[in-house]
Amino acid sequence: MYTLLSGLYKQYTQKEEYYVIILGLDNAGKTTLLEKIKSIYMGVAGLPPEKIAPTVGLNIGKVDMPNNSRVNFWDLGGQRELHSIWEKYYTECHAIVFVVDSTDSERIEEVKDTFDRVISNDIIEGVPVLMLANKQDHAEALKVHDIKELFNPIAVKLGARDSKVLPVSALAGDGVREAIDWLCTRLERNKTNRPPVFRNR
Amino acid sequence: MGGLFSRLLSRLWGSKEVRILILGLDGAGKTTILYRFQIGEVVTTIPTVGFNVETVTYKNIKFQVWDLGGQTSIRPYWRCYYANTDAIIYVVDSADRDRVSTSKEELMAMLEEEELRDAALLVLANKQDQEGAMSHTEVSDALGLTMLKNRTWTIYKCSAKTGEGLTDSLDWLVNVVSGGAK
Repeated sequence: MYTLLSGLYKQYTQKEEYYVIILGLDNAGKTTLLEKIKSIYMGVAGLPPEKIAPTVGLNIGKVDMPNNSRVNFWDLGGQRELHSIWEKYYTECHAIVFVVDSTDSERIEEVKDTFDRVISNDIIEGVPVLMLANKQDHAEALKVHDIKELFNPIAVKLGARDSKVLPVSALAGDGVREAIDWLCTRLERNKTNRPPVFRNR
Repeated sequence: MGGLFSRLLSRLWGSKEVRILILGLDGAGKTTILYRFQIGEVVTTIPTVGFNVETVTYKNIKFQVWDLGGQTSIRPYWRCYYANTDAIIYVVDSADRDRVSTSKEELMAMLEEEELRDAALLVLANKQDQEGAMSHTEVSDALGLTMLKNRTWTIYKCSAKTGEGLTDSLDWLVNVVSGGAK
């Protein structure tokens, strides 16, 4: 009886919290994406994109999802010398969002190497990975099937985890909601492997 | 009621007051940075005992900036100023390798404080004009900034003497306090 009551109590007073890291090369649009997510889900204005400067440290977005959980987004700097910081956030993360600048075909090899290194890390084995083909508002942007083709050789390393490639425009907001919805269902589904943190409301 | 009116008024006039603390060890350059922000000049300073407080208006935001003395004996008093702080500017003397671990301890102890839970953190790796100064990545590692998981933070290299990096860091502050990036 006590367990039942305390369970009920917890249900009403505690909130499931998840942590998601947003990774990708510099200028991929990670912070713009985070600001867009905040404006869509939290109704706050968010930073205008022209004001966003390269991230050096950490931006945090605490977003309450419609399913009553909270997702904390960690947006980390994408410059090469900052990649070593990423690993420090792996142990606590529940999912990874990897943002790709689809208009920058010159650096696609660098993106591949970076992505390879991220998903090969043992600490985040089994963690859902969502790759976002960003900047789809540009006409010359690579389409999702192009990106998939490029990344297929690496994708075998993903193993049994949930993963997906989705098109977005962080600037215009197209596809962002679909992407985050996908993410939320995967966070929920992967609960047994990576349980959420419970926080009192 | 008065509070309600003043809030309404400040919303109408749009200038928002933001409370900032400048902290760091003694000799890090806090006071020099404060006056760089305020009057844009390098002033000759003496070690601060107590505090300096100035209002700096930048991009339509009024920053109320508190510069607290950094000597060992007066660091315990920092906590008296923590309430309602929007952001912390933590200044590090990048040329002072011997005391960077002390700086880390003070920083980490400060961030434990409940009253600063929602404050954003801007670290300034100061004195970049000096030879042998640590780079901002070195300072970031030495301070253990990557251990921070629940706080918006950034680090800028700067020189209060030459003015390098200061405008960029203010821009970052403006974004954080106006965009609700915390």
